[in-house]
Amino acid sequence: MIDLSLDLCGVHLKNPVIAASGTFGFGREYDQLYDISLLGGISVKGLTLKKRLGNPPHRVAETPSGMLNSVGLQNPGVDAFIEEDLPWLLQKDVAVIANMAGSTEEDYCRMAEKLSASGVHMLEMNISCPNVKEGGVAFGVRPESVYAITKAVRACAKKPLMVKLSPNVADIRENALAAQEGGADCISLINTLTGIAVDPRTRRMVLYNNVGGLSGPAVRPVALRMVWQAAQAVRIPVVGMGGIVTGEDAASFMLVGAQAVMVGTANFMDAYACPRIVRELEAYCAQQQVARAQELVGTVRVNG
Amino acid sequence: MEQTIAKVLRCEDIAQDIFLLELSAPGIARSAAPGQFVHVAVPGAGANILRRPISLMGFDAGTGTLSMAIQVKGEGTKRLRALHPGDTVDVLGPIGRGFELRGARRAFFIGGGVGVAPVRGALDAFSGACACEAFFGYRGKAFAYGLDGLSCPVHVATDDGTLGESGIITAPLLRALDAGAPDMMFACGPAPMLRAVQRIALERNIPCQLSLEERMGCGLGACLVCNCKVRAADGFDYRRVCVDGPVFDAGEVLFDD
Repeated sequence: MIDLSLDLCGVHLKNPVIAASGTFGFGREYDQLYDISLLGGISVKGLTLKKRLGNPPHRVAETPSGMLNSVGLQNPGVDAFIEEDLPWLLQKDVAVIANMAGSTEEDYCRMAEKLSASGVHMLEMNISCPNVKEGGVAFGVRPESVYAITKAVRACAKKPLMVKLSPNVADIRENALAAQEGGADCISLINTLTGIAVDPRTRRMVLYNNVGGLSGPAVRPVALRMVWQAAQAVRIPVVGMGGIVTGEDAASFMLVGAQAVMVGTANFMDAYACPRIVRELEAYCAQQQVARAQELVGTVRVNG
Repeated sequence: MEQTIAKVLRCEDIAQDIFLLELSAPGIARSAAPGQFVHVAVPGAGANILRRPISLMGFDAGTGTLSMAIQVKGEGTKRLRALHPGDTVDVLGPIGRGFELRGARRAFFIGGGVGVAPVRGALDAFSGACACEAFFGYRGKAFAYGLDGLSCPVHVATDDGTLGESGIITAPLLRALDAGAPDMMFACGPAPMLRAVQRIALERNIPCQLSLEERMGCGLGACLVCNCKVRAADGFDYRRVCVDGPVFDAGEVLFDD
């Protein structure tokens, strides 16, 4: 019997597999296919203070072994989430992580207060949405602004605070450290890499928003490298993501220092990806004769 | 809805750039409805990671088969065309709100290009319950399919006049409407055709359902990438084509100019 469980900033997760924000809605759609209580956690669709319509179509483009998206934070707003979606989600035996995006420090703080007063277990502050001007990306690039927004929101939040880092930065270690010094309880990375797609036949940009965020297996090597670097730079827990499709992919992120992982684009490839990855991770641990999955964390053998 | 490994029964060209894919998927066939679609993984686990949303042209709960007409457009549909009988393919479905007869006694079925497929499927499903009349448009004779075995009146138009009348399908549609309007119209096809059908339906106050197309991600309604515009009290709102559609009432859809 393999122990997959962990304590992430005081929140119990029965396994380290978390559905990534933006790919899983508020959980209801996937719960039609399987019991979402099988997962360690769910990071809900990015919330904003007020309802947002998001970007016009097209919002998605397939790219080699990956995809670009530019949804633009379509969501019903934090109040509607707390009132209409959260009660259902809290009936499930799964850690609920509220992902929030804002355009001002005030936005983030007001959301952090509202969500801290709700039943969610953890907050994930998205300071890296590439798809809207107000998606917080302005806070996510320079280490000084990562530090400042984290410190401000930490002061308003009464729940564990996870800061989701952008990969579109000069040195991920500095931004990871800045989040830690600002008071983040843990960090998650990577958000999507910015990219574009061109249709040579129509000579047009595929995405209405021109620029989108790249995810899927295409980004996995970059994500692994950044998680490895960030995990070495900080003392706080790291949640890794970027192109995870199998249990061995999840194990790779844990080996380079992630305590837990998030699974996003794989849900589109295989609707059962998350529970399958839990099973595959368990089988991997058995095969590696590891009794507790957390024993994997940070144990990658580095050359030289 | 289920995600299943379906066996390929037939995979063959039925027109230029269009092929018929027939699958054995009993669970999906049992619960399918006209106008719904399936989300098909590209075979070969290669670089094409997203599923392809494909409308059902037919389904048979008795034999457990699904049939669809697919246009070869890019790498994904090329790989689907390369399937052979006996191969398997990963299919998620059935998905979405399909066409609804709503007690109509006489209905018009309007399809253009690859959009003929779901409309023909609806015609076959509803023909026992209402009087049908088909209006199918194609680029030319080589591109025509979905005309076999129709026992109702059929109007065909092609861009180049090689089959039926020359021009767009709304020409015979307007003549038929002048002769007597039906109490429901079903349409699927390229955006300019849908826009024209919508305008006609609204002007003449004829109930009409349009099947829309958009690039998709999850196919479950979670990822919000397949949005379309609908009328709302304060202007417009977005709906998910995958689960709020793909079929919408003509009156609610807003096409961008």
